[in-house]
Amino acid sequence: MATPLEHELKQLIIETLELEDTTPEDIDPDAPLFVEGLGLDSIDALELGLALQKTYGIQLEAESEEARRHFASLRSLVALVEARRND
Amino acid sequence: MPPPPLTLQDWRAWWPGQARPDDPRLSVEERPAGQAVPAMLRRRLNLPGRAISDMLDALDPEASRVLIHASRHGDGERTLQMLEALTAGQPVSPARFGLSVHNAILGVHSIASGNRRSQQALAASGAELAALFGEARGYLADSEGSVVVVFSDAPVPERFRGADTPEVELAAVAMRLGTATGRVITAEPLPADAVPARAPQPTDVIRWLLGEAPLDCPGRRLRWRLAG
Repeated sequence: MATPLEHELKQLIIETLELEDTTPEDIDPDAPLFVEGLGLDSIDALELGLALQKTYGIQLEAESEEARRHFASLRSLVALVEARRND
Repeated sequence: MPPPPLTLQDWRAWWPGQARPDDPRLSVEERPAGQAVPAMLRRRLNLPGRAISDMLDALDPEASRVLIHASRHGDGERTLQMLEALTAGQPVSPARFGLSVHNAILGVHSIASGNRRSQQALAASGAELAALFGEARGYLADSEGSVVVVFSDAPVPERFRGADTPEVELAAVAMRLGTATGRVITAEPLPADAVPARAPQPTDVIRWLLGEAPLDCPGRRLRWRLAG
């Protein structure tokens, strides 16, 4: 069962990246978001970074190893938002 | 020696919401399927882009021809959204930026189809069709067997209307042009007593292809005819 934040981030990904025909249930929290798994690309990474900044006030360096780690899966993205969002 | 004639080998068009003659080459779907492009690429195309991808797939199934796309206004909506974001001091969407450029539709199509031939995007202040024919002639004279030209346009966003322009209809038309087979396209001087016409839009080209109306380009003082 997805936590509220997991569900919220799934919705954010679907809406921000205009993923047609994808439902929150289709996103496996542990699967890779980029290339394999959901199949996102580098433009999606920039777009998602922008959405995290606008929605949660989180800023990441686009090319950093840290960003790669946080964007690895939905689960790691949830951990990032829980740790760093502006409440 | 006169240059070989320009010929129309085949065409496809998209004019949403029209009750036109039942011609299989004309799609009137409000939302084109865009089936020629995988979903992960298709999501980035606007409606003309989806229609154009399907038309190119039909006219160039081998993905081997030179492609030329002309649009007078391009994607005005995305461009204005970016300018508004900049004005408000907000960051610009990378995806919108990437897809607002004039060659975006052919770019996405080329990724999906694997077509690595020359691809060109034009805007010509209302003389788009003349520019397309001129560019096509150049490629054909350079030994291309056929080329595919696309002409599309969309209404200019309401909030930009003051800066421009005549009413624009949402439509796209694609033609495979050659020199050897097909219906010959001729150009003649526009008669002095011709009823003043607007700069040709994609919908005017569609009417012409359907045999409903002549096709005039007042900017170039030209009238095109389609033989046969």
